[in-house]
Amino acid sequence: MTIEDTRPRSARYVGRSVQRVEDPRLLSGQGRYVDDITLPGMLHAAFVRSPHARARILNIDASDALALDGVVAVYTAADLAWLNPMVATGPMRDGILAHSRTPLATDVVRHVGDPVAVVLARSPYLAEDGRDLVDVEYEPLEPVLDPLAALEPDSPLVDEALGTNNISHLEESAGDVERAFAEADHVTRLRFHSGRSTAAPIECRGVVAKYEDRAGGRYTIWASTQMPHLLRMFVAPVLGVPEGRVTISSPDVGGAFGLKCTVFPEDVVIPAVAKLSGRPVKWIEDRWENLAAGVHSKDMICTMEIAAKADGTMTAFRGHFVTDSGAFSSIPFTPLVDSQCAGIYLTSCYDVRDVAYSVDNPLTNKCQIGAVRGVGWVPGQLAREVAIDQLARELGKDPVELRLQNMIGPDVYTTAFGQTYDGGSYAEALEKARDAVDYASFRERQAKAREEGRYIGVGFSPFVEPTGWATASAAAGGLPNGYYDTASVTVEPDGSVTVTTGLHSHGQGHETTLAQVTADELGVPMESVRVVFGDTDSSVFGMGTYASRSAVLGFGSIRESAGQVRDRLLRLAAILLEADPGDVELVDGVAGVKGVPGKTVPLQQIALFGYFGGTARPEDVQRDALTATSGYSPGETYANGCAAAVVEVDVETGLVEVEQLVAVEDCGVQLNPTIVKGQVAGAIANGIGVALLEDLVYEDNGEFVSGSLLHYLYPSTTEVPELDLLTIETPSAVSVGGVKGVGEAGTISAPAAIVNAIADALSPFGVVIDRTPVTPEYLRRKLRDAERTREAS
Amino acid sequence: MKPAQFDYLRPGSLAEAIEALGANPDSKVLAGGQSLIPMMNMRLARPSALVDIGRIDGLAGISANGSLRVGATTRQAEVLADATVQRRWPLITAALRHVGHPATRARGTFGGSIAHAEPAAELPAAMLALDAAFTVHRPGGTRTVAATDFFLGHYTTVLAEDELLGHVDVPALGGSHWAFAEVARRHGDYALTGVAVRLTPDADGVVTDARVALFAVSSRPVRSAAAERLLVGTRVGDAEAATAAGKVALDDIEVAEDSFVSATYRTEATAAIVRRALLEAATNPKGEN
Amino acid sequence: METRQGNVAVEMTVNGEPMVGIAEPRTLLSDFLRHGLGMTGTHVGCEQGVCGACTVLIDGQPARSCLTFAVQAEGCRVDTVEGMAEGGALSDVQEAFRAEHGLQCGFCTPGFLAATEALLAENPDPTDDEIRDYLSGNICRCTGYQGIIAAVRRAAQTRKAASA
Repeated sequence: MTIEDTRPRSARYVGRSVQRVEDPRLLSGQGRYVDDITLPGMLHAAFVRSPHARARILNIDASDALALDGVVAVYTAADLAWLNPMVATGPMRDGILAHSRTPLATDVVRHVGDPVAVVLARSPYLAEDGRDLVDVEYEPLEPVLDPLAALEPDSPLVDEALGTNNISHLEESAGDVERAFAEADHVTRLRFHSGRSTAAPIECRGVVAKYEDRAGGRYTIWASTQMPHLLRMFVAPVLGVPEGRVTISSPDVGGAFGLKCTVFPEDVVIPAVAKLSGRPVKWIEDRWENLAAGVHSKDMICTMEIAAKADGTMTAFRGHFVTDSGAFSSIPFTPLVDSQCAGIYLTSCYDVRDVAYSVDNPLTNKCQIGAVRGVGWVPGQLAREVAIDQLARELGKDPVELRLQNMIGPDVYTTAFGQTYDGGSYAEALEKARDAVDYASFRERQAKAREEGRYIGVGFSPFVEPTGWATASAAAGGLPNGYYDTASVTVEPDGSVTVTTGLHSHGQGHETTLAQVTADELGVPMESVRVVFGDTDSSVFGMGTYASRSAVLGFGSIRESAGQVRDRLLRLAAILLEADPGDVELVDGVAGVKGVPGKTVPLQQIALFGYFGGTARPEDVQRDALTATSGYSPGETYANGCAAAVVEVDVETGLVEVEQLVAVEDCGVQLNPTIVKGQVAGAIANGIGVALLEDLVYEDNGEFVSGSLLHYLYPSTTEVPELDLLTIETPSAVSVGGVKGVGEAGTISAPAAIVNAIADALSPFGVVIDRTPVTPEYLRRKLRDAERTREAS
Repeated sequence: MKPAQFDYLRPGSLAEAIEALGANPDSKVLAGGQSLIPMMNMRLARPSALVDIGRIDGLAGISANGSLRVGATTRQAEVLADATVQRRWPLITAALRHVGHPATRARGTFGGSIAHAEPAAELPAAMLALDAAFTVHRPGGTRTVAATDFFLGHYTTVLAEDELLGHVDVPALGGSHWAFAEVARRHGDYALTGVAVRLTPDADGVVTDARVALFAVSSRPVRSAAAERLLVGTRVGDAEAATAAGKVALDDIEVAEDSFVSATYRTEATAAIVRRALLEAATNPKGEN
Repeated sequence: METRQGNVAVEMTVNGEPMVGIAEPRTLLSDFLRHGLGMTGTHVGCEQGVCGACTVLIDGQPARSCLTFAVQAEGCRVDTVEGMAEGGALSDVQEAFRAEHGLQCGFCTPGFLAATEALLAENPDPTDDEIRDYLSGNICRCTGYQGIIAAVRRAAQTRKAASA
């Protein structure tokens, strides 16, 4: 349904940086996060977890723990045998193995942190005391740690039941790649290892659950999740009950970044033991668990090849992406969320028609790989953009010019793999980033610095980001699943407005942006709109928030539903104003007749009439009153932009300082420019972490050594410079309102810009940067090796 | 991430504290707790009792009559903000800037950072460079230990179970050159390598006495005998001497290696920062007497 | 000598009000505030002393409440986020965070607010570098710090203007 926009531009909220509705609550300590929930008689859970990468469980003795005053129960897999297995089925396409697990380990533990037993006690302190007293006897087994070795036929198996370690091998090609490489004037090849990082939101995960017998067996689960309805959909069958007997409530969530759109063993164990113990149970993940046993991401060995003509025209791309998938295929997105996303979007903003990729997803005895901000687009972007800089160096071309030479135009464009971009500022974004770093004079500055023994470099990373993730985009991304998202808009009898959505907000500010959208669509003041989400009992169904989808899905679903309500309001107002509905306009909560000043009726009166106006109302209003629910399934929509980084490398210590970081973002029509900037800035900071700091390290024996924030390093105020945040607005040609998503752009683009800047700074040394994070230790090793090579020749 | 059980003892006097430590064999001293409590939260430390010395009169305070005396429970933030320390012992101020963050410095104590003997901590190395002496309270009296003799290894010092660091004395060292440098992944993180340098010049600017105290390179803070030897007789700020001192700085020292940093890295980076610190020492404003 | 074993009553003044709660010696101040006194505005992010989310003021000085036992703060003045807004109106620092989009999910925010109060008390007119240095012990995963730095700058200016 299309609503004719009759409102004056000045009355619109969309596009304005209105202050956030949620802030006063969050600023005054009145947020309600999962650990803030306390239920009468509640017990506290602590998990006994594997200290081994791979081991057989020989015996579990909980007697000492149970003897401790305050410990109420200890449960193992044997006590949870009534649960159905958790199954990662993955996207609905062939070639991906379903992987099944029990919530607690049965005979074998498969990574450090794998849950083995759960202790319930009167306080979290006592639960940990009990945990320390559970005696588990293990027989250590040789762990599978190298993802490439895991693909070999003689490799030990992480899960014997699967008969292979490889969850999925997929390959796809378009055009004639073999010929393009055979005929190329020049081929560049890069093997790049994208490091293992994770979301590590400041709020760890948490689950509180209660079970009520008298209601026919009902679970109420409070969880720090990005997707209440999906979580319910996955948890209910494991618990063996219909979805209608499970309520998921996700209150305020302290950051998620993809980590919390996974279904975890704890999500079912806590409700299960609430049932077994007959008491409400709370589990708050600690930071070690968060780092060791949540999800990891982006650990990928990428092989990237580019075929080019001597003039710099890139003719073909070929990529192979191996995700070090960890011990389990994650639910629901599986490790393909990394590998496949790296592969199928390989051409990005470049007009390359001959392209091929393949992916492998070997299981290893590490934490599972799941969706984390930027997913596989980050390694894919790194592999491609670092290889393009390498190509430029090899051909003696300018890296910016080479990119511009190969870039697609601004109009709708269909890639070799069939993704249809909805228009974007691909070249303009790169040019804008180039100008922002004063590229014209940079080389001179760089030469001068080198004379002083200082090494500065600049790097660029233009990107295309699939956003508004839903049925169409998922299919285009080779991960075909159905998505269904709705919004319900109700004008209450007093004229206030309630919107419910199955999307979720954990920092994005939906209480604000979706109210902006609703207020505009209805023609009411924003203050009268309340946005409700996060509870499966009170919100309409939706798939949750991740993959930069909610601006698109929210706008689309609200426009549909609000449009229907607005249409009814106008017809009701027309009756009250004794005017033709076509002549009625609703602005700022007051309906009037166009061209007739003073003839108005306030929304409150219209609403009252809508509910209680009897047969004077139009028939559909008699039936539906002032509420409407609509879904929205957008077409493919892609944001784009470019990051540029200027860095200085201290070649003696290997430290890298980010001197300048430019982010040009084109996410189409912006709902709230301040919030857009905030999303970009946060994602960029995350990208700085991915490039330079964040690393989840396993020792050669599978021991995990990054279990604290002293070892897993986030960027802090001193590592993130003042950012140059620039925007271009190319409205989407397909989405409602011209909106595109924005959540992940910075994390996708920044790492490659930084890596390219480092390589540029070090170009006199002939150093190839082939991994992230670029740590001082790593850089020194590369410089040392380069020096040795030079000396040897 | 919750500490195991312990008994909490809050002595009202030094004597009571010593007695409490002696009576509780697995006890630990609690001062600011900024190093101890994280280890207890992770249950890497599980003392049976904590002896909280935070409220004992006379253990906190800064005085400077000729030499500097800092009480063990003086908060790091207080020492950092102290104008006399800034003027006369700027090396201490410089080191403290790298110790944790404002919130940990507001609770963390000067003595605690020393007695904890984390090999990557900044203050112990500064103490070595400044020839500090530590007064240790023990049953029946006190003893004084030179900084150079105090640190034994990872989290280990000469302190016996019933001994307590009381205060630190730093001699007046006005007129000496100094510098402090470290390599850390982020601001406030434990260093990958670090150095505190102090050079005593004669009237012609020739080094008569040198201290090159390294931290985060070994199991304990150490003075580099090789670098110190090399520097004596050279001119302050001499580039060649600085480079040479950097190169030999870790000779005869067993360089630590862990999951994140190799000994080779530490050796190379140490050479660089020792050189830089020695050059910077020539230009840093000297402390007053 | 005072000796504590097991659960004992602990008194402190929280946001100007005398309060009593039950704590073991090992009870962290963060847990005491959140679960002992029900003041859940103070958040816990790592309990490793790194993230700064749990920062409160003890006797006016910033402190990580996860690195402080409740018994250590006995008799002290503790200020938390719940005490910042006066009469329902956000404080100048809170307003500045809102105006500059200095928060997203809000989880690290109480710690940043406490650290900002401490910074401005110590240094009413900080430079950007001083702000960054002072706040480097507080981690935010959402904002990339841009809004936070701007908010502290704004709060300092507001305060300066108000006292002029």
